[in-house]
Amino acid sequence: MKLSRLLLLLLTTIIIAGCSATTTIDEYRPTGEAIALNEDDRIVLLGRRDAGHYETDREFISCVGEKMKGGDIRVLPEQEFIDAIYPWFEPRTAPKGLLRLKRLMQDSSIKDEVNKLSIRYLVWLDGSTETLDSGGSMSCAIGPGGGGCFGFAQWDKLSVYEAIVWDLQDLTEKGRLRVDSEGTSYLIGAVAPIPFLTPVKSDACASLGNQLKGFFTVQSNAEQ
Amino acid sequence: MFTIKMKMFATVLSLIVLSGCSSSASVQLTNDFPQVLAKPKPLSAAIVFEPSFSNYVARPNEKTEIDIGSAQVRLLRNAFAGLFSNLEFVASREEITLDRALVIIPSIREVQVSVPSDNYLNVFEVWIKYNLDLETTDGDPIDSWFMPAYGKTPDAFMASKSAAIGEAAIIALRDAGAKLMLDFYRIPTVNNWAIEERRKARQANIREVSP
Repeated sequence: MKLSRLLLLLLTTIIIAGCSATTTIDEYRPTGEAIALNEDDRIVLLGRRDAGHYETDREFISCVGEKMKGGDIRVLPEQEFIDAIYPWFEPRTAPKGLLRLKRLMQDSSIKDEVNKLSIRYLVWLDGSTETLDSGGSMSCAIGPGGGGCFGFAQWDKLSVYEAIVWDLQDLTEKGRLRVDSEGTSYLIGAVAPIPFLTPVKSDACASLGNQLKGFFTVQSNAEQ
Repeated sequence: MFTIKMKMFATVLSLIVLSGCSSSASVQLTNDFPQVLAKPKPLSAAIVFEPSFSNYVARPNEKTEIDIGSAQVRLLRNAFAGLFSNLEFVASREEITLDRALVIIPSIREVQVSVPSDNYLNVFEVWIKYNLDLETTDGDPIDSWFMPAYGKTPDAFMASKSAAIGEAAIIALRDAGAKLMLDFYRIPTVNNWAIEERRKARQANIREVSP
């Protein structure tokens, strides 16, 4: 009895340990100093949606925004910014480089709207979460006497996201971040299907959000 | 009593799951579109939204229906307001009252839809192919401009097909607005017409000022 309990405990520990994601963050900044952000200024996070086969999903953008909100950083919701500046940040028209951004900001109506919204920094997020590999099999059956699932399935997920910070006042790039998060999820069918899911995407979101938060330092108006 | 409740719950759950798996989609677009951020040119235009356009229901395949008419009218009203300072929206050519205006008659050539089972990607896609017939108020044709618009939305687990196609259609409509703002005055014939109209307006001003 004791041995079976020990085995069960060991198996659970192995599986739970296997359910943690491996996350790597690469960071590039021209200077080591944190980016100064006035307490009245806001940041907007925008997802790249011009690629053909994937979209940086809105759920991920708002997740990173939520992670950044602590520490007095004010984040403007993505859709609010895109609507206010319509149609200049749609997938077809959004600037892909600083040159195009400079041309866009030469338009006084666009510049005025950016100033009205108090947007100082724009963070582009580009990436997706994909299932790389899957294995195992699971079969479920139901009959008059009851039903159940038996088998084992596993799948690997990879989240790769890149963040680029643009300064809308200087019209320069302030830094880049890249996060890679990988992990394996399991589904064990022992009458009832028992999932052991690795939160790959939420790990990538938390890592990116926290790292981006560290990019900025909020200065009060009195400090300036 | 408990058994009856459980059965009812199971029936409702099954119905929800089955409706989620339904392969047909009927979409009605009821959302509003933002105002465009642009300075309109001091030119006049009459936009003719014929009933076949403003009540358009797209049927890209036998399982999909998108009621796009009123949404595209709302979008184009906003978009043209960013292009022309003097606008008139009418339901037929006979109702135009403006002089020396560019008459624009939009129509839809085709609407196409692609779902993950078609494209093997995790996206729903919608293409709307517009045609803008451009004429003078006297009825002389200026040009016929083909304007394709595209929208896509990611596939989400257990999300309904109708909602995903609706979202992709809204993105396609917004793309049509963006395309219009970006490229309309780049059409050579429209650019020439705009230059000519401004020249005529300048001449008229000179005539008014001179004794």
